[in-house]
Amino acid sequence: MAKMDNKKFMVCCANGAGSSLMMKMTLQKVLTKLDIKPATIHHCSLSEGKTASQNYDVVLCARNFANMFDDAKKKGTVVIGLKNIMSAPEMEQAMKDADLLD
Amino acid sequence: MAETILQKIVERGHYKFVDRVDSWQDAVRLSTESLVKTGYVSENYYKQIVDCIEKYGPYVVFDHYIAMPHSSEGAEGAKKTGIGFMRVKEDVDFGKDEDGEQKVARLLFTLAAKDPGEHMDNIQQLMGIFCNEPLIDALLEANTPEDILAAEAKYPPEEE
Repeated sequence: MAKMDNKKFMVCCANGAGSSLMMKMTLQKVLTKLDIKPATIHHCSLSEGKTASQNYDVVLCARNFANMFDDAKKKGTVVIGLKNIMSAPEMEQAMKDADLLD
Repeated sequence: MAETILQKIVERGHYKFVDRVDSWQDAVRLSTESLVKTGYVSENYYKQIVDCIEKYGPYVVFDHYIAMPHSSEGAEGAKKTGIGFMRVKEDVDFGKDEDGEQKVARLLFTLAAKDPGEHMDNIQQLMGIFCNEPLIDALLEANTPEDILAAEAKYPPEEE
């Protein structure tokens, strides 16, 4: 089983309606390519995400929001901030850098 | 094949072409004008988008002069699901992001979201457009609704 199988992902943007959906699609693209089956991918707003993030294994967001998840980070959630939320190569690299891939 | 979002934008008259704007706030307001006129959003809808960008920074501005101003799903003032397209000839300055990088846009795709399913489909199609650089280059040069359709015909979305 791949390291990332069955992990819970959360994608977050300011209002949970625009860029988080795009990030979700990018994530699906990356996971499909790597043949990883997530347990769940949840998209939401920052306000919801901030409190819910510690229940997820990986949180993805635009880079400027990454520091909002410091609490979850302390509890072991991997937080990934992305410069270009539509870039699958950037996302894959960021996951590699976070030591999430096999 | 179902209508593409660019075809819908043209058909519904949800487009605007301007040379320059006074401010990014003005750009956001102008981009919703056609949506207001057709009853897709309320007149004040743009203010929610402006508030959001003022609060969180210009994260709605992507590469290649693209901006996707939007408010929350089911936001007050969004009556129907649609996209207001606007092309500006001169750069619209949205200010600096957290890295100090100046964020500028010339193409605005302003979202109104009421129906989650249709909104999801819009986002999916927009992503295809945003990643289609020749199409974006052509849209940057567009001056008429016919130009929008011609651009899409010339650079159709990639089939996934």
